[in-house]
Amino acid sequence: MGNYLKMIKRWDIILITILVLISFLPFTIFSVVQAKSNNDPNNINVAVISVDNKVVKRIVLTGNVKTQQFDVHDLGGDCNTIEVKKNRIRVKSADCPDQNCVLTGFISKPGQTIVCLPHRVVIEIKSNHEPSQDIIVSS
Amino acid sequence: MTKNQLNAYIALLAAQAVVISMFENAIPFPFAVAPGAKLGLANIITCMALYTLSTKDTLKVLTIRLILATLLGGTISTFMYSAAGIVLSFLGMWLVKKLGPDRVSLIGVSTTGAILHNIGQLIVASWIAQTWTVLLYLPVLSFAGILAGIAIGVMANYLLNHVEKLHNYRSLRELNE
Repeated sequence: MGNYLKMIKRWDIILITILVLISFLPFTIFSVVQAKSNNDPNNINVAVISVDNKVVKRIVLTGNVKTQQFDVHDLGGDCNTIEVKKNRIRVKSADCPDQNCVLTGFISKPGQTIVCLPHRVVIEIKSNHEPSQDIIVSS
Repeated sequence: MTKNQLNAYIALLAAQAVVISMFENAIPFPFAVAPGAKLGLANIITCMALYTLSTKDTLKVLTIRLILATLLGGTISTFMYSAAGIVLSFLGMWLVKKLGPDRVSLIGVSTTGAILHNIGQLIVASWIAQTWTVLLYLPVLSFAGILAGIAIGVMANYLLNHVEKLHNYRSLRELNE
């Protein structure tokens, strides 16, 4: 063991440190870019509410200060009550059996969704800048 | 070394690298923490080639290894991944080795190779997926690469010092420089 420790030279350690720092570089750039785009005034988040794949309402969330509340009816006449509070949106109450949409709570970031499967109601937040999405790569 | 000896030695190293990498593919990776991380045992061969052969002959070993490994159980996409990894890691290892044996040991060379191999593969992956978020995975792979690189460096060092032929070839190469 001692022989192997003696094998390590000073430049080995310098090189490994540099390489580790380089490997964190994409991470740093990514966080900086993301922080910039979150503070970007041109970035506008829009909540798109659709029933059965048809868009029924668009609400601009960025810069919104009011609180508003309205009902969305699906084809069968069932009702989801949606509340918009400042830049966040949620389903306040619904008469669906599973209540998943209500339990999701408020969403505010691009890419987030609230889905009410029984009523086929989808609320999705879209941004004029496409958000980065998680992907899976297999080789 | 005569020309025949040299050819046989290059062929031997390439064949060993192919067999080792196929053998390694057969081992299921035990750690679920870092999927995609590999030991990179074939890196031993690259290290040995770098230390016993000229740059031109090392490149020959790597090219033969790349083509053979692809023909023996790869696809175009694995070819692209390994090609990027091999080219980048060879460049890095070659440059690092230029620092000289007084400054840098085999551990440094093999760790550089391991990490740059990962970087090359992830660059190709992010190019294929058309998003560079893949590169965020780099720190995890680098950590695995450092551990594997140290182990490979110690192994290659042991082989170079204790296998008589390798030892001779290494001294021969150092004389020629």
